[in-house]
Amino acid sequence: MTEPTPTSSTETRELISFRVGEQEYCVDIMAVREIRGWSPATTLPQSPAYMRGVINLRGAVLPIMDLAARIGMPTTEPNVRSVFIVVQAGDRTVGLLVDAVSDILSITDDMCQPTPDIACENVRHFVRGIISIEGRMISEISLDRLLPEREALAA
Amino acid sequence: MDELEAIKVTFFQECEELLADLEGGLLAMQDGNDDGDTVNAVFRAVHSIKGGAGAFGLEPLVRFAHVFETLLDALRSNEIPGTPDLTALLLRASDVLADHVSAARGLGVVDMDVSAAMAAELKIATDPNAAPAAPAPVAAAPVDAAPQYVDAAPIVIGADDALDDDDLGFDFQPMTITLDAQAADAAVLDGNVWTVSIRPKSDLYRKANETALLLRELSRLGPIQATLDDSALPALEFIDPEAAYVTWSVRLETDQGEEAIREVFEFVDGDCELEITRGEAPAADVLASLLDVAAPAPELAPAAIEAPVEAPVVAAAPAPEPAAPAPVSAPAPAPVAANAPAAPAAKPAQIDVPGPGQSVIRVDPERIDRLIDLVGELVINQAMLAQRVGEYGIAPSSNLAMGLDELEQLTREIQDSVMAIRAQPVKSVFQRMPRLVREVANMTGKQARLVMDGENTEVDKTVIERLSDPITHMLRNAIDHGLESPEERKAAGKNPEGVVRLAALHRSGRIVIEVQDDGKGINRERVHSIAVKKGLISPDLQLTDEEIDNLIFLPGFSTADKISDVSGRGVGMDVVKRSVQALGGRISIASRPGQGSTFTLSLPLTLAVLDGMVVDVAGETLVIPLACIVESLRPKAEEIRPLGPVGSVLAVRDSFVPLIDVGLTLNYRDRSPAATEGVVLLVEGEDGSRAALVADAIHGQRQVVIKSLEQNYQQVEGVAAATILGDGRVALILDVDAVINLRRRGPPLPSDPTLIAAE
Repeated sequence: MTEPTPTSSTETRELISFRVGEQEYCVDIMAVREIRGWSPATTLPQSPAYMRGVINLRGAVLPIMDLAARIGMPTTEPNVRSVFIVVQAGDRTVGLLVDAVSDILSITDDMCQPTPDIACENVRHFVRGIISIEGRMISEISLDRLLPEREALAA
Repeated sequence: MDELEAIKVTFFQECEELLADLEGGLLAMQDGNDDGDTVNAVFRAVHSIKGGAGAFGLEPLVRFAHVFETLLDALRSNEIPGTPDLTALLLRASDVLADHVSAARGLGVVDMDVSAAMAAELKIATDPNAAPAAPAPVAAAPVDAAPQYVDAAPIVIGADDALDDDDLGFDFQPMTITLDAQAADAAVLDGNVWTVSIRPKSDLYRKANETALLLRELSRLGPIQATLDDSALPALEFIDPEAAYVTWSVRLETDQGEEAIREVFEFVDGDCELEITRGEAPAADVLASLLDVAAPAPELAPAAIEAPVEAPVVAAAPAPEPAAPAPVSAPAPAPVAANAPAAPAAKPAQIDVPGPGQSVIRVDPERIDRLIDLVGELVINQAMLAQRVGEYGIAPSSNLAMGLDELEQLTREIQDSVMAIRAQPVKSVFQRMPRLVREVANMTGKQARLVMDGENTEVDKTVIERLSDPITHMLRNAIDHGLESPEERKAAGKNPEGVVRLAALHRSGRIVIEVQDDGKGINRERVHSIAVKKGLISPDLQLTDEEIDNLIFLPGFSTADKISDVSGRGVGMDVVKRSVQALGGRISIASRPGQGSTFTLSLPLTLAVLDGMVVDVAGETLVIPLACIVESLRPKAEEIRPLGPVGSVLAVRDSFVPLIDVGLTLNYRDRSPAATEGVVLLVEGEDGSRAALVADAIHGQRQVVIKSLEQNYQQVEGVAAATILGDGRVALILDVDAVINLRRRGPPLPSDPTLIAAE
């Protein structure tokens, strides 16, 4: 697990925030490997719609996931400003397709609120908590839940 | 890691190999191949483990190895007969020895009770009378029992480098032989007299060993009389100064056994020919032949010179002048103790030693992996270069293009060579299996014999490492579920001992592992009813025999009536199937009621590179493994015949092959274009079934570096792996069998319609 667990409320963490549609999300900066501009991916057959495909990242095959589609929103149409954030989720590296990267946030854990109990199962599943900062609402993504379980398709 | 640790690591590596040799030899003996070489090899393996362990002070290991070795030595010298029971005992002992080695390494512990019991068993097998090893009663005391150390000046024969081994405490005293055949008889019948014939090989000296030290060690066991036979010494001009030519024959009086004598030679095992016989050698004729050598050649060989011999003083021996070029007065070439002429036995025991010259380099596997990765990148880069050159429209006959061709050749050769370095015979996995079979058979109360075939089949290391688990599972399954109990087998008119066959072979660019048992086969009725009971399939589903057999691969399926230690936890075969699939492999089962089942596992030979055909399908670039492709063709309209509502077949020379549109099967498109517009690749699946894959265009043949999809994602049905093409984009490698199977199920569905998956 590379995603650090929050220790004490006074400790500050840094997060990278980005835009998906009109909403703001963020991930822990320690999980982010790099941010790259969009390049066409090779489609994977028999895969869920949120899997955009795979690209060549310096010799490794990197799956690209449409974050919007993953959390149940309409699929993203990549344009020149689209980027993907290469993150480490468990023992896997994956690229998250997002609309744009906003900034880096420094937060303490007391700024992080639990996800409100709303109907959407997807949101509760993928969002760890909500951060309120300068009047913005930013949802922190729980990376380890993004990728489907490896075994799910193997049977 | 300090130096000693490093040596220790090497020792344990060698132990692995020696244990493998040991087991291999014992298995050969079990199969009736118990010639001297095999027994010797087995003995040597245990002996070497003991020797190394002694150097590191691994006491428990040494103790056990010693008992084991004693028994093997008795077997080797035909003191006890080799029987199947004995071999079985030896096999079990080898398991305990392996445990000891692991324990010494800090991996696991040895059950000391088991070890002690095994040691006791070995001792009893060595000496059925279980008599404590009491020294034989001393009979007539030898004439001059106590050796007297001669304090004479060392004799340097024709060499300037004087003997400076004063620290040895004794010196060399050549003596005239007084041949008295009668005298030889005196102490012969004494059980305490041994004749040890030592014929050092040049290697002995090369390894900085010394006969003098050996003789000194021998003298610790009792009084010795050493005789030097230099009859093999060539004339001066033919002498190889670094070669060994001489033989010592030592008459030793000791109350210790042969074991103790052999121990002296522990460190020169293989470097000298050694023969130990009880009693005195029938010396007369040998000595007579020695006497034929008129003048002894000067001992130029340094090895021979620096061999001071502790010899009892014999009165009549005229001591030659120190530094004399040759013992002029000596009619015999060798100093011999007058009262007890002992001579080397005519034929020293041949100790089988693996020939020198077969040097092996140990390399950290990580270095090779790194090399392979680099070569992989080289291949991709080379492909990129070729593509760029093609794009610039450079003529194929130009120097640049020709140079590039050569580069391609070289790259390919480098890649093949590097892959060959990493290729290993499956033996390393197979050799662990006999033990497993013994243990599982014991636990389940069944009699099983493992027959292995194709152990030398080579596969890439990446594959080898992952073979162990599936094979283990399949073997367990074969014994636990496949074989019947001895009683059942007898009732069925079979040999109570079941045979499990484990075989490896290469087939169409893949490695195939077969596990075959001659048990009862799959009880299809029961499998079906259990699958229904567990809700894995719907009751009214009609399944073929083959489909029922394959139900055992479903998650949560276990037919064992009771859960045993061995298998039957219900995680068996589906786990195997999954781990095999993750490697791009397949597993299938064929069963015949009453005759047994065969599991067939097929895996790619390497997980690193692949020869493939690059094709275009619905705008996507795919690679089809060349090994699967039989031929490619452009179909004519009249060769395509519709069959049923949606399917169609292709007529290929009187046979009809189903047409499969790759784009449709992989959901790249909803409608397949007319097959006549595309290219058809005739492929053959693992099970020999043929299919005609329709692609839009062929780009050509290329060697691609396999990149795992699972590393960062997961397995995708229909896709074996991914690769990176010359343009830097990822292309998917098609899993031909999966595509055929996907198509067999009819229109693409998320899961197999014949099986309601237990999700």
